[in-house]
Amino acid sequence: MLTLVLFNVTNGLILGMFYVLMALGVSLILNLSNVINFAHGNFLALGGYLTFVLEPYLGYWGALLAGPICVGIIGLIIERTAIRRVYDRDPVYSLLLTFGLAFIIQDLCRTIWGPNGLPLSIPNALNSPLSQQFFFITGYRIFLIAVVIVAVAALFGFLTYTRVGTRIRAGTFDIETVSALGINIGLLRSLNFAVGIFLAGLAGVLAGGQIGLNPNMGDDLLLPAFIAIIVGGVGSLTGTLVGGLVIGVASAVTSIWWPAGSEVIMYILMIVVLLVRPRGIMGEEGVMT
Amino acid sequence: MSALEAEGLNTFYGKSHILFDVSLKVEEGMITTLLGRNGAGKTTTLRSLVGLTMPRTGSVKIFGEDSSRQPPYRAAKRGVGYVPEGRKIFAHLTVEDNLRVPLERPGPWTIERVFQTFPRLAERRTNKGRQLSGGEQEMLSIARALLLNPKVLILDEPSQGLAPLIVKDVFRMVEQAKADGMSVLLVEQNVRASLEIADYAYVLDHGVMSWSGTAADLVKDEERIQALAGASAEEWSFDDDLSTKEAEAFSHQPSTVA
Repeated sequence: MLTLVLFNVTNGLILGMFYVLMALGVSLILNLSNVINFAHGNFLALGGYLTFVLEPYLGYWGALLAGPICVGIIGLIIERTAIRRVYDRDPVYSLLLTFGLAFIIQDLCRTIWGPNGLPLSIPNALNSPLSQQFFFITGYRIFLIAVVIVAVAALFGFLTYTRVGTRIRAGTFDIETVSALGINIGLLRSLNFAVGIFLAGLAGVLAGGQIGLNPNMGDDLLLPAFIAIIVGGVGSLTGTLVGGLVIGVASAVTSIWWPAGSEVIMYILMIVVLLVRPRGIMGEEGVMT
Repeated sequence: MSALEAEGLNTFYGKSHILFDVSLKVEEGMITTLLGRNGAGKTTTLRSLVGLTMPRTGSVKIFGEDSSRQPPYRAAKRGVGYVPEGRKIFAHLTVEDNLRVPLERPGPWTIERVFQTFPRLAERRTNKGRQLSGGEQEMLSIARALLLNPKVLILDEPSQGLAPLIVKDVFRMVEQAKADGMSVLLVEQNVRASLEIADYAYVLDHGVMSWSGTAADLVKDEERIQALAGASAEEWSFDDDLSTKEAEAFSHQPSTVA
């Protein structure tokens, strides 16, 4: 029984890690630019594929970093050329734009790399399980959790201790005043968008090592990412972090006793949170932008 | 050369025409005050000057350089510090983080100097913006603009909602800014108080500049001041929080404020 519980909690944690990376990226972009990025899951897939392409040249470790950076740069270019044009318009424009972008990226991946799954090879050292009993705790899973922890810590460090990060946090509250204080908010939003897409790319690389690559691999993560944001509280990145972990573990633990309910539980959780605390676990009144 | 010069501004909110051919100058090293009743278009004028609301026609020059229809950060880069109406501090950030937001233009103002000048902010440096009192928030908003090391300081109703003693501090800061060589554009409901420290004055009425001249000339025009001050004339009586004695000392000798 203990093994079963541990097995599911581990699965939940892994799932939660992906939710967290996805949701943090979506949340960063939503908070500063008021854009709900429907293409986020497709940037995730693109990150995985780019790593797949770069791996033969840079090795796993080089590609692990280069893949997400490349997709971050692609995100930056798309933001500068397309997404920035809809910032001052009705939110419906950004929804339509990113929705269209999602299809374009997905079909691009399908055209270039084919509709079938591709394996992303990981170093052998990461492949073996820790022990016979805990066969589900592989080196790769521990590595994955460590990478996510480092990435999230780096993100929060960047937002807390650098001036640019402080400006991003200020901008989520009042972008106009940040602009009047001499900050080029166009550049700030671009950089912020690129960071969000980098996180999606990183999630793509890590997911690729776990379940392989396919053009739809990010789709199943997008909705949970939105739920994580709502559960955690729109406007609060710490809330997003908590929300992602909570729904990940909740769905895994539910699957022990009620396998069919493992997905439904997220929605139930969201409804409960919205009823009890409509602004989310850590959301603050008035911070929502 | 004027520090700031606006010529023929016409600004709209949607279809509503707010400013009608508004022109004004802020002379270098002087305090210019822009007066007018509620809804006259004072805030819209300031927003048009810094680029927060783009005027449809008209030009804005900052130290002679054309700055019309530029985003707000350009005006700030050229040395225009803006203290918005309602202070607009970042309520969820600490005092110190609020001070880390402005662009770092070279000059005497650093965060350390802010903390020396406003010891109250130093004491509250780890408090969130929303935990500050109105007066502290105003100080923070002014300090934040000073950190740009501006050549022109624009203040939009800095005394709004503050206790009279704090208002005195705010006006002292404005005079200090002038003494430090900054040009100041001050929008105030507190008509008499602003005329005491201002060199030039403009009066805005329903989006039209109806009067301009030296502050000394406007002070003599009691009828116009009465019309301008209206209900807000009472602000200057200091009845609420101060003893009558203190209030009298301040209202009759504002020059000692500096």
